[in-house]
Amino acid sequence: MPDLIVENIEKQLGTAQVLCGVSFELQQGEVLALLGASGSGKTTLLRSVAGLERPDKGKIEIRGKVVFDAASGFEIPAEQRGLGLVFQSYAIWPHRSVFENVAYGLRLRRVPDAEIRQRVGDVLARLGLGHLADRYAHQLSGGQQQRVALARAIVYNPPVLLLDEPLSNLDAKLREDARAWVRELIKQIGNSALYVTHDQTEALAIADRVLLLDRGQIQQDGTPQEIYGRPTSQFAAEFMGSNNRFDGKIAEISANRARLENHGWSLWGKLRGNKEPGAPGTGLIRVERVRLADGGGENHLKMQLKSALYLGERWEYVLQLGELRLRVWGEEGRAPGECWVAIPQEEFWIF
Amino acid sequence: MSRTLRSFAVIGVALVVFGPLGLIIYQSFLSEAFFSPTASLSLGAYRYVLTDSGFHSAFGTSLLVSLGMTLISVPLGSLLAFLLVRTDLPGKKFLEPWLLVPIFLSPVVLAFGYVVAVGPVGFFSLWTKALIGRVPWNLYSLYGMILIAGLTHVPHSFLYVSSALRTLDPSVEEAARVAGAGPWRIAATVSLPLVLPSILFSAALIFLLGFELFGLPLVLGDPAGLLVLTTYLYKLTNLLGVPSYHLMAVVALSIVALTFPLVYAQRRMLRTAGRFAVIGGKGQAFRPLPLGALRWPAVAIVLLWLVVTVLLPLIGVALRSVVSQWGEGIKLFDVLTLDHFRELKGYPNLVRGIVNTLLIGSIGGALSVVFYAIIGLAAHRWQSRWVSFLDYLVMLPRALPGLIVGLAFLWVFLFFKPIAPLRTTLFSLWIAYTVVWLAYGLRLISAALLQVKPELEEAARVTGAGQGTVYRDVTLPLIRFGLIGSWLLVFMMFVREYSTGVYLLGPGTEVIGSLIVSLWGTGALDLISALSVIEVALVGLILFIALRLGVRLDA
Repeated sequence: MPDLIVENIEKQLGTAQVLCGVSFELQQGEVLALLGASGSGKTTLLRSVAGLERPDKGKIEIRGKVVFDAASGFEIPAEQRGLGLVFQSYAIWPHRSVFENVAYGLRLRRVPDAEIRQRVGDVLARLGLGHLADRYAHQLSGGQQQRVALARAIVYNPPVLLLDEPLSNLDAKLREDARAWVRELIKQIGNSALYVTHDQTEALAIADRVLLLDRGQIQQDGTPQEIYGRPTSQFAAEFMGSNNRFDGKIAEISANRARLENHGWSLWGKLRGNKEPGAPGTGLIRVERVRLADGGGENHLKMQLKSALYLGERWEYVLQLGELRLRVWGEEGRAPGECWVAIPQEEFWIF
Repeated sequence: MSRTLRSFAVIGVALVVFGPLGLIIYQSFLSEAFFSPTASLSLGAYRYVLTDSGFHSAFGTSLLVSLGMTLISVPLGSLLAFLLVRTDLPGKKFLEPWLLVPIFLSPVVLAFGYVVAVGPVGFFSLWTKALIGRVPWNLYSLYGMILIAGLTHVPHSFLYVSSALRTLDPSVEEAARVAGAGPWRIAATVSLPLVLPSILFSAALIFLLGFELFGLPLVLGDPAGLLVLTTYLYKLTNLLGVPSYHLMAVVALSIVALTFPLVYAQRRMLRTAGRFAVIGGKGQAFRPLPLGALRWPAVAIVLLWLVVTVLLPLIGVALRSVVSQWGEGIKLFDVLTLDHFRELKGYPNLVRGIVNTLLIGSIGGALSVVFYAIIGLAAHRWQSRWVSFLDYLVMLPRALPGLIVGLAFLWVFLFFKPIAPLRTTLFSLWIAYTVVWLAYGLRLISAALLQVKPELEEAARVTGAGQGTVYRDVTLPLIRFGLIGSWLLVFMMFVREYSTGVYLLGPGTEVIGSLIVSLWGTGALDLISALSVIEVALVGLILFIALRLGVRLDA
């Protein structure tokens, strides 16, 4: 039985339709990332699961128990859903010590004092906060506050852990560390988690499965590898990674491959979606999949290298052919001039 | 829990607002006082009042005073706000709390202070006369009244304009400086125009307060035969020998008919205020605009205002309370005495008044803050049409001057027999005070609630706390300091309140403010000055505590 079932959730805020029929399931022990730009509805979706927003339509079940059903007007309030939620701003109660912040959920559940001390102590120790139990929020660093928020959300073993951009208030360096240990922690305690983020790297790194949301709809639902490596829509392809884009016309179709052409170039690639020859098409390839080549060949283009930018760990070349501009990464500096570019067919998606 | 709280808030506020207001409206359509057996429905009261030339001239005077004081206090208040918020005015940290002091002083005390300081035989008038042979001013005139009303209402415009200026991004001024503008030019062409909505808002507020003035025109206008609407209402009390409640109701409603649209307009302005405001991205420290050589004249302006508005009347009151008599040819040091304070003990009603003032301020103030907090919490994060209804309800009393609320509650206690015994207890006064200061109190509470980020409450809910538990464990603990601050501010307001108690004044309900008003009719200057000093000292003490605790006065 899945830990969480969300069925056909719709929600309107003011005049904007924020969620237009979203459904998904969260399996026991799975970490699911809700990935989307701001305004995609990901936070509204999370808050609907938490019970902080009331959707207009749809149904939500937690561990087989219906907590919301618009059809019958049934709703279990947030406080009775038993979930754990980590806020973007952490929302540490400033008038309570770290210990009391974490203990609050247990006190509400009337857990005996001795057990509270032990369980809170365990969680704080596990998160490396043992020595900070008596501190208050203003005496903690951002990273420590974030751990307290996490400790507070997991201490009473919620069936589903909800995380709303939990790392976005951390410095870049801390964030990279946090990615790893947050995933480790969730996996260790074996909780299922719903993780909202706008940061694709974070989503790919932390989640077992990613839901890509756009304008209130799920664009793609898959493993991180599928989302990045086999996008099913042009939106999904363009949302992830850095891309080179080719606008042209479908010249020829053979099986699942197509030839896209425009002035001065013609390339074979994998056809995604239904297209007829003669229709306008868009070709996309990840920047890191394009390489400079030594000479001509199949799916090779002869282009002008306009400039080479030094980015630290690599070089970026800007190439031009008519109206087509490409970015290509390489190892060394290059002088402007003519050069060949290889566009691997398998990696070139035509939509 | 939250359901009960919310129903209680809506019903409670509706009762205390509509009850008195409804009674005034009902009374205005009767031929006599409502308790008279021969009272019948009639438009006679309207005919009488609306054709009375005294009413017409009172209306005209009210209009002139309102307009005049607005024209004085808005420009001056805006200027002071600019100087204190945006420039390197010397000593501004010290000056700032003083700018708000007049708000906490009873207007009737201030007016009395002006009479004894610069009235025809006031201390400063006689000293000036001894110096130059004549008194070059006349306090008892329309202009005197307008000037004093204008000066004492400067804090109201200062309050709104300064808080808007504080949110202004300093870089817009720095841009003007770099472009070559001096401080005065920046004020006139950049800063003040950018906070124009707040300036207009404060103008509407002061214009409104002009119609509600009572203490100043009672003390300063009366001797010159000048009546405004509120003093006209007050004079009606004993006009016909029998209580002319029907006439008073019509006058009260005519005042409300003027103030209500103003309150409504203000509300609309508040919604659009801040539309221009260039809010700073970060609360970074900025360098105040250097005034250069102009800094001393600027300090002089602030100090001059402070001396005339606060020091002059307070010195007057203080001196008057320690002299046995005063007049031409009397030397101050020959007549010094503390007898007036000793005399107070001989009047049980005055002693009760002092005790009652303390009780209503401390305990009454605390209960009112509890009441305001209940309403504030009920409306807090409540998404319902009832919230806007509550909003309108709360706004209504702002259109009701204290004098009228007190009168209306007197009638409520006379009209509804079961609660009649409460009329002679402090409860009657407390409920009237609570209604008069409803909007103010709620603003304090909601300012405190605004500081509570919604996630802090949501976090508790998700953790498993019901709405009531969230209030108890998160919301209330987080605003506890705000509640204490609100209590101190309400305490001061209740101590300085005078007009609300005028009609409720009776054995058991005496307070300093209403006693001063009634003593003013008898000319007992000795007792008035002693009571005034006690009141000012009380307010000063609470103000001192509040400032020490870091309570923000500019709510």
